[in-house]
Amino acid sequence: MTEEQIAVFFGSSLRLSMPLILAGTGELVSERAGVLNMSLEGMMLTATFAGALGSWATGRPAVGLACGVAAALLLAFAQAVLSVTLRANQLVVGIGFNILALGGTTFLYREIFGPLSRDIIPGFAIWRVPLLGDLPILGVALFQQVGLVYVGLAVVVLIWAMLGHTAFGLAVRAVGEDPRAADQAGIPVARVRYLSVLVAGAMAGLAGVFISVGDIHTFTEGMTNGQGYLALAAVIFGGWVGWRTLAACLLFGTATALQFQLPAMGIEIPTAGLMMLPYVLALLAVAGLVGRLRPPAALTLPYQRGR
Amino acid sequence: MSRLAARSTLAPGAVIPVAATAASLLLGAGLVAASGASVGEAIAAFWEGMFGSTFAVGASINRAVALTLVGLGFILANRANLTNVGGEGQLAVGGIASTALALHGAERLPLGLAVAAPLAGAALAGALWGAIAGALKVRRGTNEVISTLLLSFIGLLVVYWSVQSEDLLRQPVTSAATLPESLEIPARTKLPTILADPSSPLHIGVFIAALASLGVGLTLGKSASGVRLRAVGLNELAARRAGIRDGRLVVAVLAVAGAFGGVAGAIMMQGELWILKAGFTSGYGFDGLVVGLLARGSAAGVVAGALLFGFLRSGGLAMEITAGVPAAVVVVTQGLIVIVIAGSAILMKGRE
Repeated sequence: MTEEQIAVFFGSSLRLSMPLILAGTGELVSERAGVLNMSLEGMMLTATFAGALGSWATGRPAVGLACGVAAALLLAFAQAVLSVTLRANQLVVGIGFNILALGGTTFLYREIFGPLSRDIIPGFAIWRVPLLGDLPILGVALFQQVGLVYVGLAVVVLIWAMLGHTAFGLAVRAVGEDPRAADQAGIPVARVRYLSVLVAGAMAGLAGVFISVGDIHTFTEGMTNGQGYLALAAVIFGGWVGWRTLAACLLFGTATALQFQLPAMGIEIPTAGLMMLPYVLALLAVAGLVGRLRPPAALTLPYQRGR
Repeated sequence: MSRLAARSTLAPGAVIPVAATAASLLLGAGLVAASGASVGEAIAAFWEGMFGSTFAVGASINRAVALTLVGLGFILANRANLTNVGGEGQLAVGGIASTALALHGAERLPLGLAVAAPLAGAALAGALWGAIAGALKVRRGTNEVISTLLLSFIGLLVVYWSVQSEDLLRQPVTSAATLPESLEIPARTKLPTILADPSSPLHIGVFIAALASLGVGLTLGKSASGVRLRAVGLNELAARRAGIRDGRLVVAVLAVAGAFGGVAGAIMMQGELWILKAGFTSGYGFDGLVVGLLARGSAAGVVAGALLFGFLRSGGLAMEITAGVPAAVVVVTQGLIVIVIAGSAILMKGRE
């Protein structure tokens, strides 16, 4: 590998990991509170579209960012109403939202942009981190990315701190393990779960906007292409722990980058194997064959007082 | 008392899905209008696509066959309080097994075996895929929702892999334009059609689905296995005390559910697709899961839901082709139906 290839490889690994890191960290909070969002994929896709639309219509990526996050929050709120208040089956609701998001964004895209449009949308500028950006190889790879990368990583760290060291974080964990006991201790179970799902929504929104406005600078139908599911797998492989989820996202992002990098270097490998790797690892992990993991005890279980 | 209670829950049980479907379809019509297309024209095309010809009806019912089988697998496992999210992966491995057998030897088998052997192979492959989740649950305590979901993604990628490599199922690569898909399966391994009318694609898969529905309905209704499943679902410990080997039952029921999915994949392949391609399952596994959930444990409900989704898909495709309205409208409608029915489950539970 030449120095340039190394830089490209690290850079694209980080870039491809970023949506997973953002969405995965948000989902981690929600799952720790006991709500599994199969709709993560749909939230991300909605945000990719709304973000692209906002940025394209106003010419300002920041507006796109706001639109994308708002749209994902809306979906997350609906998910919370259904799975917390109405106690609907979280998996089915999630699948329903994914179908809805795919249909809705495809429909709107064709109506607004026209079929197969490849309009370039205004994206975020590259931000060169002072000093670090001048490092050889690593500078180009890691410290000359769009600002959303650094903001996103800072938010991720904040979320870890919140989950581990604040009263709200404690409430989230309590509600996800034993909602009845949490309720008896005076924790408002429903409110904590609502907020947690909204955190997942906001982060999925950032992830979606990162893909369309931050990275690719256009929108295509079904653009997220399973990255929401990959983020779900990363939370599982990360054993519902913050830093391990981050590591899983980086690993999965790197595997994705390798799919493009290896053929470019003339190395023939079955790309399907690399694509499968994250899911196989996650399966081995939940099966306890790679470390012993335990999901939050109340994951996917609705809570109703007095039952 | 119990009869009264049953009646009071029966009414909303039927009304809500119908109302949800009607409201969602209305919203779909609104979207068509918003897109500037003629609503009348779109509805005509939609209707034409569902019931307009023997081809349309046959194709819709064929779609419903696959959904029915996946849905049945779901309610069967669900009776033992297991959630099988693995339909998509089970379809995928079933399709692979069926294609592999059809392309390599099944053609030369006598009698109906040319058709039956790939189906049986698919059942076995699906059963294995389901049993993995069952074994992990019993041995390692792995949550089956998570394992079956992950196995779905793995299954989809196995299809992708099989058609990428000539060593597996990809057709011989003769030029750069050779598509990553399998050869067409031989005529003798395709499912025979039922009607004399050559324009009708309706094939014998519909009998398989009917038999399976009957079997599952009877099993869940009265039989000893139905009671055992239910016992494990309601109270594992009590079931174990009563001498029911719950571990074996968990593996077995997930294997049977997987076999249903596998057969559904084979039926898609041998019935209509004939060529294995990446992504051939196109969401049928997830749709089938939804059908199973909305049916609330009733085999008849599965059949009804599968027919609804089967016809909706056909109508949507026709609308896109003839009226130029994106089929995405139907996708939106379908998503809404799922969300509304799932959200109103709380009303159907009534007294709880």
